[in-house]
Amino acid sequence: MGEVEKVFLSGLHEKLVEDKVIDEPQLEPDFAKEIVKYGGKDVMTCLQCGNCTGVCPISLKINYKTRSIIKYCQFGLKTLTLGTQWVCATCYRCYEHCPSDINPAEVMIALRHIAIREGVIPPFIKVAATNLVKYGQSVKPDPEVEKIRKELELDDVPSRGAEYAKVIREINVLIHAAGYDKLIGIEEEVKA
Amino acid sequence: MTSYAYFFGCIIPNRYPGVEYAVRWVCGKEGYDLDVMDIKEFSCCPVPGIFYSSDKDTWLLLASRNLVLGQKERREIMTVCNGCLTSLLKATEYLKDPKRMGKVNRMLAQIGKKYTGIPRKTEGRRRIMEPVKVRHYVDVMTNDIGLEEVQAHTKRPLRNIKAAVHYGCHYLRPTENQTIDDPNDPVKIDKIVEACGATSVDYDDKLDCCGAGGGVRSHVVELANSLTEDKCRNIAAAEADCIVTGCPFCLLQFDNAQKAFTKDGIPVMHVAQFQALAMGIDPISLGFDTHHVSAHSFLRKLRGV
Repeated sequence: MGEVEKVFLSGLHEKLVEDKVIDEPQLEPDFAKEIVKYGGKDVMTCLQCGNCTGVCPISLKINYKTRSIIKYCQFGLKTLTLGTQWVCATCYRCYEHCPSDINPAEVMIALRHIAIREGVIPPFIKVAATNLVKYGQSVKPDPEVEKIRKELELDDVPSRGAEYAKVIREINVLIHAAGYDKLIGIEEEVKA
Repeated sequence: MTSYAYFFGCIIPNRYPGVEYAVRWVCGKEGYDLDVMDIKEFSCCPVPGIFYSSDKDTWLLLASRNLVLGQKERREIMTVCNGCLTSLLKATEYLKDPKRMGKVNRMLAQIGKKYTGIPRKTEGRRRIMEPVKVRHYVDVMTNDIGLEEVQAHTKRPLRNIKAAVHYGCHYLRPTENQTIDDPNDPVKIDKIVEACGATSVDYDDKLDCCGAGGGVRSHVVELANSLTEDKCRNIAAAEADCIVTGCPFCLLQFDNAQKAFTKDGIPVMHVAQFQALAMGIDPISLGFDTHHVSAHSFLRKLRGV
């Protein structure tokens, strides 16, 4: 990583700070390492070719450039990345087209991990996780659909079965053991 | 003969029961009579856009719990959803690392479970384990059953129907895990559609995302819908009568998003529903009344009205 960093970034940090493009306190020098910790690849090996942005379906619609986000990661501009990565549809097209094999989609997922640990938690995460600990499924049962299931003579959805209480208990135990309830703030919902 | 366990996931049972009915019908006595069972204790896979995105340890733990249930029955897990496929398949890849497997098993011990994989053969005293197999419905249909059989079971060819096939991202990518079809030129669902007697129409940007994945639908629904709008415009230009997909989340997105930008919309269905129709099922059993976009136009054309 050291060599690559030298080639791509040498002197640039200093210059950007000097030109007041970025503030020194905004920079997190170990940001790239943090991304690796959460399963992303080393962003320092990114060539900035822009293939990822070129094939990204989201970039056609909004101002979202995968390449720029990787660049922020290289610089350690953590604050600029918080919140942006939730618009990634994880279609993995960038992964298929990346010549450096960085897998930008996985970098976005690592950035989501980091954002959550910084307290940026989109509400739908809590909704889905609450459904999971209550029904064992991320989608809430719908009474209208359950009526149609009866008409089709399908069994009740699993979460309605009496024996499913054991499954719910197991899920609650696992979620609690992994500390996930605390991480996203659904402690009240979890009964472990 | 391979034995399977159904894995319907969350969306099919709770939103599109007709898909569940169709899959059971196609795999059951009326259809291919496969050796397939229900495992009632399955939970959410869990969804990659939520759990894989927020905490990989929790995701792996919950996915492993499902895999252990398949392992106990020594069956291949047959998913009907691209999301379930990618989540469970990726989990089996993660669990190949003994360190990760050990960590997961220490946690799973709290609920009396252990992931080992399924024993394949013994070498001396050593048992060689292989990961629990995770399959996609489309893969089972094309590989295990075979297209000739699918064609042979087509009692009512859907001759006048033009279908636009949508594969969905996680059926194709990432290629480090998924290799059930050619990621750049997938053919399997098209082939099933054609074995059903229908025509699979080509359209621009066929392999594009529906827009829903990765939490985008839950996070910024307008953004997801605008991607769907592009796709629907291309599909309409190809004059398709319906959209056929192998993923209930794509189905849900197409089905819900269309009301945001069009009045009528193109009916959407799962490939199992399409197949069941060709095999002679009564359309009333396919639960089209739970779909937001009415299937009337499609069914009228099917009857030749």
